[in-house]
Amino acid sequence: MNIDRRRFVGSAAGITATTGVAADWFWPKHSVSYQRPRSFVAILNATEYSEKVEALLMDGLRLFRLNLNGRRVLLKPNLVEDLPGPVNTNADLIGAAARCFLRLGAAKVVVGEGPGHQRDTELVVQAANLKPHLADRRIHFVDLNRDELARVKLKARYSGLGELWLPRTVLDSDFIVSMPKVKTHHWAGVTLSLKNMFGIVPGMKYGWPKNLLHWHGIHKCILDICATVPIHFVIADGITAMEGNGPLQGTARDLGKIVVADDPVAADATCARLMGLDPLRVQHLSDGGRFLGNLNANRIMMLGERVEPPARPFSVLPDFEYLIAPTR
Amino acid sequence: MLGVVPVGTRDPRWFAVDLDVSYTKGSLCLMVHFSVSDTVLASRQLVSGGWSFASSQQASIEATCLAAFALADEMPANAGASTQFLLKSQFADGCWPAFEGDSEGSWTTALSLCYLNGMTDFASAREKASHWLVEERGREAHWFWRWKFKTADRNVSFDPDKYGWPWISGSASWVIPTAFSVIALKQFTVCNRSELSEKRIRLGVDMLLDRACAGGGWNSGNSIVYGVPLPAHAEATAIALLALQDEERTSVIRASLGWLKQKSAAIESVESLAWCILCLFVYQEPVDHLKAGLATLVGDGRDIRNNATLATAILALRCGEMIHPFVVLR
Repeated sequence: MNIDRRRFVGSAAGITATTGVAADWFWPKHSVSYQRPRSFVAILNATEYSEKVEALLMDGLRLFRLNLNGRRVLLKPNLVEDLPGPVNTNADLIGAAARCFLRLGAAKVVVGEGPGHQRDTELVVQAANLKPHLADRRIHFVDLNRDELARVKLKARYSGLGELWLPRTVLDSDFIVSMPKVKTHHWAGVTLSLKNMFGIVPGMKYGWPKNLLHWHGIHKCILDICATVPIHFVIADGITAMEGNGPLQGTARDLGKIVVADDPVAADATCARLMGLDPLRVQHLSDGGRFLGNLNANRIMMLGERVEPPARPFSVLPDFEYLIAPTR
Repeated sequence: MLGVVPVGTRDPRWFAVDLDVSYTKGSLCLMVHFSVSDTVLASRQLVSGGWSFASSQQASIEATCLAAFALADEMPANAGASTQFLLKSQFADGCWPAFEGDSEGSWTTALSLCYLNGMTDFASAREKASHWLVEERGREAHWFWRWKFKTADRNVSFDPDKYGWPWISGSASWVIPTAFSVIALKQFTVCNRSELSEKRIRLGVDMLLDRACAGGGWNSGNSIVYGVPLPAHAEATAIALLALQDEERTSVIRASLGWLKQKSAAIESVESLAWCILCLFVYQEPVDHLKAGLATLVGDGRDIRNNATLATAILALRCGEMIHPFVVLR
């Protein structure tokens, strides 16, 4: 039988593609799935940071009937830099969340963060004005950049990293709450609860910034980290958000929302929709929707207010204009 | 102040300070701070001879080097144990990991070499470390990535031909690891220059000068991303300036020094302020007012959980009383 070169190349390409699809089917890139039949999300309206936030958040948390008795809760805010503007998760919201979880029965609440750019964590904590909230002896702060580390095999293989050293404080927590600042991001498109988990990767091993993760692909590393360290709950700070050249140099955007959810993918999808962006076009959300949580709006139960896209979508850098959701 | 000294302290200097009536009240207080902080730091030394960052049993090479520097004069036995720990932790190829248990080389090799440079012994360990540093480079040193950053990826503005050192092998060059590597190699080659080491030092210096922020100082790496200038960081600026201390005072260095002097007056964080003092002292700028502020922030040192920060503060408060650990005499 004669096979000409064109036919041979075509057949080889077909076999390769089929093998790739089959390999992904039989040998998926993740060994865990956190998807449930239904995820719950609540959008809380808050126009400003004040002492009223705690009562509002408590009402929101009660909708979820959380069982936190005796559990060690880790709050992972987004504290990045000592810069003005809506760069960091607001300290009043972090403090309110810590007190709410204690009231809900948590044995211990730790606020943990490993800032990605600024090596001087104390400077970031000062700039974020978090110190007054840490005066409560029941609330501890841990610098995740310099915590004791343990080597952990990753539960997904998107990045090819295989394993990471991760902080003991994170690994020993029973209930991890990602508390992102709702922002656009000049490398990832958006930075929400999933991207926020970059902050658990220790600077003492991987440096400032955690550049190795960038070389291995931001979206892929997000998937691997969140597969390995599951997020149990999300409180996203969207009262004052950031648009444009985030996560540091963008401009403030008043969104007036706190998004609370028991599923990080559902939370991020909701935040993206509130920003006027299409979550399906955010790579780590689209891939994460297969195993980290629910992306499809049909599987996200809104407790209370529905998602209303903004009249004007969040501005993004030209490289990310494809994220803007088509208007209806 | 006297009541805060731990019972059973073996710090002989404490008693010397207690009996020294020639000091003014202010300077006596400073001396007391030093001595108690020494004791606090020494009490946190691990059985291995190293120090962890906080309360764990996992020694960090960074914390160990800084603590050993801080206690070298006053508590030589503690520093000696940490020297032994460092020598045991060095890998066969000359590098050090970031922490005990890690199996990869890291930027802490530069810091360890700085520490060993202050000793007359351990020539073999220093030689191997310097060789590793000369060979190590940021990932953008590879022709493919240089080409990519020059042609396809222009969102970050820098000259990829000027590369330094990474935090960890396999990533790009960053300011702090490059600055420490330049200091370590400059110190090591004071009497031992080679064409190869000079070339590598020059490349590192050029990288630092290329990445300086528009108004002076350094961010963690690049100075412009997506056309927007990034703000300088005090710690990165101080360490970068330490690496450039013997270079010609170009406009970049002068602007950065000016930025740091202005910034340091408002810093209320121990780590950043300590690095500012260590840097400004080398540039013969007045630091007494900064030292007084730092002494107040440090107190007796007990509230500073990060041992690397406490050690850096002790070093900064001792500027002028000891050989500066990061001075370059070329």
